[in-house]
Amino acid sequence: MSLEFLQAFKFQKKKSFVHNLDPRAKLLFSIVYSISGLLFTEIVPLLLLFLTLIPLIFLGKMFREWLRSMKGLSSLILLIIILNTYFLSLSYAVAMIIRILIMITAFSIFFLTVHPNDLALSLISMKIPYEYAFSFSLAFRFVPTIAIEAQNIMDAQQSRGYEMQQSGLINQIKNLFPLLVPLIVSSIKRAFNVAEALESRAFGSIKDRTYYYEINYRIKDWIFTVYLFLILCAAIYVRIQFNIMPEWISWVLPV
Amino acid sequence: MSGQIPLIILNEVYYNYPNRTIALKNISLNVYKGELVGIMGMNGAGKTTLIRTLNGLIRPSNGTVNIEGENIENKSIGVLSKKIGLIFQNPEHQIFSNTVEDEIKFSLNSLNLSQEEINLRTDETLKTFNLEKYRDRSPMNLSGGESKKLAIASIICRDPDILVFDEPTLGQDEKEINFFTKLLNLEREQGKTIIIVTHNIEFAMEYIPRIILMANGRIIADGETKKILTNQFLVKKSSLILPQTHKLKLELNKLGIQCPEDIYSKNEMIKFLTYYLNNKSTKVPDVND
Repeated sequence: MSLEFLQAFKFQKKKSFVHNLDPRAKLLFSIVYSISGLLFTEIVPLLLLFLTLIPLIFLGKMFREWLRSMKGLSSLILLIIILNTYFLSLSYAVAMIIRILIMITAFSIFFLTVHPNDLALSLISMKIPYEYAFSFSLAFRFVPTIAIEAQNIMDAQQSRGYEMQQSGLINQIKNLFPLLVPLIVSSIKRAFNVAEALESRAFGSIKDRTYYYEINYRIKDWIFTVYLFLILCAAIYVRIQFNIMPEWISWVLPV
Repeated sequence: MSGQIPLIILNEVYYNYPNRTIALKNISLNVYKGELVGIMGMNGAGKTTLIRTLNGLIRPSNGTVNIEGENIENKSIGVLSKKIGLIFQNPEHQIFSNTVEDEIKFSLNSLNLSQEEINLRTDETLKTFNLEKYRDRSPMNLSGGESKKLAIASIICRDPDILVFDEPTLGQDEKEINFFTKLLNLEREQGKTIIIVTHNIEFAMEYIPRIILMANGRIIADGETKKILTNQFLVKKSSLILPQTHKLKLELNKLGIQCPEDIYSKNEMIKFLTYYLNNKSTKVPDVND
């Protein structure tokens, strides 16, 4: 079991159009694409939505990271296919996979291109108190660390004969304890250590703080916002008027 | 060791991390049954990656790993963990049970032993590691040293033929290190093969007869500890420091006090200095007397 897919949520410093966008515009992008994806359960509209994401992956120079995350999620994708095909239909299973791909890709683009500091700044600009904004960006910054920790825990347990493959739902849940307990304990310990380290550096001692870096919503961010607005409007329109749409839009797999 | 078949054979092993970092480059080495081998080198040299290839946690990008004459390529970690006990640096990565006793039993459960055998081995292990008094206590409340002891105990109770330790002396006080060295002797008497990754140069000088020195994913030296760790070029290249006894020997030589070449341990140096100070003579005494 590999946690490699978490690499898709780790900020990568690069110079690209997507990296240069305002973090708030990118947060809006992730939300708009997630909502649009949730509006449909049909293959064609979801596929069209997904296709509009592809240029952004290339514009953000993150194709390799995205591909790696998809490879890491292959077992989840397989599980979705099996469960949905067994209980519903193959077409529904394919649609659900595309929906998950849209949501993961949208948030992956956000996390890969937004520096944790910029994330905090964008939250502060939305009038969220600094303590909360900082905590959120800190949590986001610790994702790769926790992923490494989880992998180490898995390795340590496997080294003493622990095996994930056990039949039965209850057994499988029980099986997670050797991984989850050390992970939760070490995360709580780390949280206390970080809190003490922050307090020892006078965190929160000044209420009205200033910021070295500032973020600005520029013309290209507004253009991108308009593009997102159009995508959302189009998705809502298609959903409402779905019955009068051409037949091909509700196409299902001939199986 | 000539004539004997090596227990562990690594043949031209390479390993690349997913981000294309090359962690191991052309690693070839043999370890014989009953040997005690140390792996040393700077941080990021590839020591931990190397030991992870031994029980299949990491599969080499190229090259082969043979254990007991068999290529481990298609063997699961579960099967390999019965032969190779890998003890990690951080005990917190494995402790999860409600009691110290359950923590040991968890390691034994995957060995398909009878309940009596599990109970017997648990009792023996707790006794060997002086953990009996903590039997019903939560392992989360143990001190750093005791946690480390428990992590080691939970692997040794499985009785693997090969023991691999990652930084076993890190954060340990003298008493705990002494306990560990006694344990090493006990395991060696039973014919176990032991590999230790360590930065503790004094510990290596004192207890480990053979050292594999690594730098930038390669083995840069493999041989007798005394020769390797007193070689200034190799020690500098691996970002290590010379052993205190050797540094003292060099300083004494600068002062015109000629130390015998075969002084390596602290006890030998103490004997030599005592002799020198009592006799006020630069005549080289036989320190082995």
